[in-house]
Amino acid sequence: MVAFDALKLVFEPQTLIVMICCAIYGLTVGAIPGFTATMAVALLVPVTYFMDPVPALAGVVTLAAMAIFAGDIPGALLRMPGTPASAAYADESYQMSQRGEAETALGMGLVASAMGGIFGALVLILAAPALAEIALKFSSFEYFWLACLGLVAAIAATDAHPAKGAIALFIGLSIGMVGLDPVMGQQRFTFDNTYLIGGLGFIPVLIGLFAVSEALRYGLSPIKRPDILPMKASTMFRGIWGHLRRLKWSIGRGAGIGTIVGAIPGAGADIAAYISYAVARKFSPNRKEFGTGTVDGIAPATSANNAAVGGALIPATVFGIPGDSLTAVIIGVLYMKGLNPGPTVFIMQPTLLYAIFMAFLIANIIMIPFGFGAIALFRKILAAPPGVVMSLVVLACIVGAFAVENTTFAVLVMLGAGLLGFYMEENNLPLAPAILGVVLGPILESTFLTSLAKAQGNYLEFFSRPLAGSLGAITISLIILPLIWKAVSAKRMTT
Amino acid sequence: MKLSSLIAAAMVVALPSAAFADWPERPVTIVVPAGAGGGTDSTARMLSERLQAKFDVPFNVVNQGQGGGVVGISTIKEADPDGYTIGVIYNFAHYQPMGQADFNVDDFTPIAQYNFDPAGFHVSADNEWGTISEALDAIKAAPGDYSISCGGGCGGSWPIAAATLLNEWGVDMSQVRMIAGQGAAGALQDMVAGGFDVVPSSVPEAGPLIEAGRVKGLAVFGSERLEAFPDIPTLKEETGMENALGAWRGVVGAKGLDADVANQLEAALKEIVESEDWRAQMTGRGFGIEWKNSADFETFMRGEETSVREIVGILGL
Repeated sequence: MVAFDALKLVFEPQTLIVMICCAIYGLTVGAIPGFTATMAVALLVPVTYFMDPVPALAGVVTLAAMAIFAGDIPGALLRMPGTPASAAYADESYQMSQRGEAETALGMGLVASAMGGIFGALVLILAAPALAEIALKFSSFEYFWLACLGLVAAIAATDAHPAKGAIALFIGLSIGMVGLDPVMGQQRFTFDNTYLIGGLGFIPVLIGLFAVSEALRYGLSPIKRPDILPMKASTMFRGIWGHLRRLKWSIGRGAGIGTIVGAIPGAGADIAAYISYAVARKFSPNRKEFGTGTVDGIAPATSANNAAVGGALIPATVFGIPGDSLTAVIIGVLYMKGLNPGPTVFIMQPTLLYAIFMAFLIANIIMIPFGFGAIALFRKILAAPPGVVMSLVVLACIVGAFAVENTTFAVLVMLGAGLLGFYMEENNLPLAPAILGVVLGPILESTFLTSLAKAQGNYLEFFSRPLAGSLGAITISLIILPLIWKAVSAKRMTT
Repeated sequence: MKLSSLIAAAMVVALPSAAFADWPERPVTIVVPAGAGGGTDSTARMLSERLQAKFDVPFNVVNQGQGGGVVGISTIKEADPDGYTIGVIYNFAHYQPMGQADFNVDDFTPIAQYNFDPAGFHVSADNEWGTISEALDAIKAAPGDYSISCGGGCGGSWPIAAATLLNEWGVDMSQVRMIAGQGAAGALQDMVAGGFDVVPSSVPEAGPLIEAGRVKGLAVFGSERLEAFPDIPTLKEETGMENALGAWRGVVGAKGLDADVANQLEAALKEIVESEDWRAQMTGRGFGIEWKNSADFETFMRGEETSVREIVGILGL
């Protein structure tokens, strides 16, 4: 019954129109090198502010799925991955294109992406409610440890040096501290400014960090693009069936890896693609061809990065703990729409939640026709002058920040965050840990203080519940084990 | 645009004080000190639609929920009292004693109260307490053994309602553990997981968990049972105490709002709140209807200012 009601919500004309617009927008932004999926979602958030919950979230998940796929297109034709998630196999597909097999690389990539996405969506629909039943037993102690786990993962998952990841994380946590503290309501860093009492708004900070910084960087050093390799979209699906039959287990394994890696806090679509590519290389009978341009490497990896989106939505909806920057934004939208992520949302608003899951599943199915269109029109997408596109991005940022908060102060915060993001990227400080810090900081603080108040100041209580104790042990060992490992291997080196 | 209307528009801009007689001549802003989507926002939007139809100018809802409402309420307080910026306000007496912001009844011109939602006393479904009296007696006997969630901050409508009740029952409030958190939704889940003993909140907020058999509602702090939850008894039925405790919402302007404008708004609001479609829409969404004219609203807010500040002092917030 719930499933039927949810489907009815998805097939409302407004929802479908929003999904189609978001699909086109996501494919366009994802296909432009330098734009990330997170940035695409960040720019959409102010628009969703004025929509009903189902179209808003259906749009966001559609956009995420499409942008992750579209990153493959410039990877194959320009050797520039459209989003970081496509970086793992951009070389592989570019080499195919150089041999004149761009059609096969992209056609296979599209089908495998859709299959991975559908797999991830089905796991999400089946696993999330079961996990939510378990998560109902989580009190503030368990959530405290989950938030800690999220912080550790936020640092561990960046490809930058852990110290740089930690710096970025602390920048995010500091941003999250401005305003009234989440528990006692005391003012912090407000300098008697009424606007600062409200804190630095999540959405202005988000758009600034991810979109304005991008525009600034482009303005200072425009990216030069190599010539686009030729390809004929009409022959894209020729010979796909044979590859699919041959690679079915490989693609399935990629989807499985993607879903699991996506569900792990901190690891997102990009890491899922790298791992899946490495695993495929190890088990493939054609492993010698890897690195010279083979669909055997592309298909499992591209199926993994799309499956990862579905996987990442599991902890996001069940616990409200973001796994990567993309889900941090989705969690922000969930809160904005009154769907407080957590196990109770499965009891409180199951219809809305399943409608969003269904929308995500449908998005992965319609990815095939829409993705085909994006590949065919890729040359036209890139013909848009980047200067104009960037000016539009900045315009959208300013309008968006103001529209959501209704204060000019929010526009200043957004521009400030843009400068900060630019500065951070110029110094190789990753942005993802910062936005995770902004989202996780208040969760960490309130669960810590609430737990401590419940325990009347006894820190041992953080380990007294079996679930909390196990989560705490996992978190602490995640921090300590690498250090021990390092010490041991350093010792071996010297002896 | 015709020249005459252009001149008229210029005059309105140049001579704002002359505009009172013909209020409203341009769009009115309704400041909502809460984010989009919540109860304060949806009731304010329902009001704005109807005010727009009555006065024939747009009534634009502007959400400023930052800082737990502090930013929005400050905007209302500091607005020009020309009738073009009014606001929806809710329980605000606790901000001042808690040192969050300096808001007093004197800072506003009360227009009317349009809503009251009684607090509910919620416990986990596996809790042995069957009635509110049992719960109150147990807490009175060992106040240090139980934890009560404030939902959000401990100065909010629901924890203040629960604390007022406990205080009147003779519980030693300095011993009771009132624990702040991140909102009633999270607190209810935490209670199901065994983290809290009591979560006071609005009944519709706990409704789905009550229906799912995870949470019990022991009492509702209003004068009669709620239509949607006929099984939850009122405080009076159970204890004989006649308290109406909970969250309220009303419309105010800045201090010194022109009396004529205030009267026009009050009359329009009265018509709206008494209409049948308002009743249908409010009850359909689980909101309680309460009407207080400006004088009664002011008396009520002043009374609350005293009682809430007293209980905040006792709780030591």
